[in-house]
Amino acid sequence: MRPDPAFALLSLYETALPEVYGYLLARCGSRAVAEELTSETFLGAVSACRKTGSPPVSTGWLIGVARHKLVDHWRRHEREERGLRLVHEAEAVDPWDEELDALLAREVLASLGAHHRAVLTLRYLDGLRVPDVADVLGRTVHATEALLTRAKAAFRAAYREKGVRDD
Amino acid sequence: MTDPLDALRAPVRPVDPDPDFADDLRERLRRAVLRIGGEMTTTETTTTPGRIGALTPYIVVSDARRALDFYVEVFDAVRRGDPIIMDDNRVGHAELAIGDAVLMLADEFPEMGIVVAPEGGAQIRIELSDVDDSVRRALDRGAELLRPVEDRGYGRGGTIKDPFGQRWLVAEKSPEPPVPQGQAMYFTFQVPDDEAAKSFYGGVLGWRYSPGSTPTAWGVEGNGLQGGLWGGSGRQVGWKLMYAVDDLEAALQRVRDFGGRPGEVEQHPYGRTADCVDNQGIEFWLWQS
Repeated sequence: MRPDPAFALLSLYETALPEVYGYLLARCGSRAVAEELTSETFLGAVSACRKTGSPPVSTGWLIGVARHKLVDHWRRHEREERGLRLVHEAEAVDPWDEELDALLAREVLASLGAHHRAVLTLRYLDGLRVPDVADVLGRTVHATEALLTRAKAAFRAAYREKGVRDD
Repeated sequence: MTDPLDALRAPVRPVDPDPDFADDLRERLRRAVLRIGGEMTTTETTTTPGRIGALTPYIVVSDARRALDFYVEVFDAVRRGDPIIMDDNRVGHAELAIGDAVLMLADEFPEMGIVVAPEGGAQIRIELSDVDDSVRRALDRGAELLRPVEDRGYGRGGTIKDPFGQRWLVAEKSPEPPVPQGQAMYFTFQVPDDEAAKSFYGGVLGWRYSPGSTPTAWGVEGNGLQGGLWGGSGRQVGWKLMYAVDDLEAALQRVRDFGGRPGEVEQHPYGRTADCVDNQGIEFWLWQS
């Protein structure tokens, strides 16, 4: 008989908690949201780790669960925003080799719509490859590439505007 | 190609959350691990079905893939893992669980002398819960009836030859033998705090729990015993066993004769029981089917 893998979550909790919380806090920027998603991550992991074929419980695996919870959070957020969002979306694709101001870039990212924020976070903050981003978002690679292009254009427009205003 | 957005890369930096939040979540996680373990049904099992015993038939069939489907459909067999497929696509080895036994089978390999017997060959006796229904299903799927199902004084049975060359003596399931007097057949682990015990033995031994008849009673999977865990104060702490007896009233008289305290007879769907104490004060149950 295989021991219940969920007990591994209890023994891993102390070491994994700051990692999961740190990951989420850096990406959603709100303590309340980070706490909520951290709870969802650990409690959701209980049944997830019991599924057959589930990998062994580890901090890395929990970060993966947290990433999905984050995407779910943005998806809920996106539905709420949809009515408010401007129909026009920037489509610029010409090369851009500016060196980013990290602090400003974070601010810009936080100001974007949830769908853009999600794809940019997974691609750049987490450093996932596009097929992996597509996997986490539950979209095709093609649709993800298109979304990424629009998100980068939106980021760039917002970054320029904010840069000009702040100067 | 450089991408300015690559500058956003943020490796995971651990941050300690608010200690109250951490404590609260730790408690919720502990409860979730124990509770969801409790929702587990007894049919859910992580072990391979069947058990390889002292004797296991290894049969050769003319079409192993179809034979596997046939045995699953007709005998309610359960697949044990995936078949081993050879380079030429023949099935080199496959296993099924039927009841508590295992059946192994392979396709023909004439170059190695592994072939279906043209006639004769071993017969395998198989016990089924509904012989008539299984034989009907077998004939529908192309089996040949060698001896019709009838009762010759040993329960209903018959003989079929499946489409892959194997003969089967199908027989009605034998009744469960009675539990001999004196044998323990039910084990209750009585503890002051069931949650504490679940957490401890779940963590140490990997036991799993299903809800029992009362909020503090739990079925246990993983200790190899039939019985459960029972929490609450006011009961003798430790294992309490239930022993089978042939005649409950006579056994209760013997309890009295040998200095124990016989309990009242209780009626249950599973039989009649009495909660007794031995001559040193240790509690036990008696049970008669």
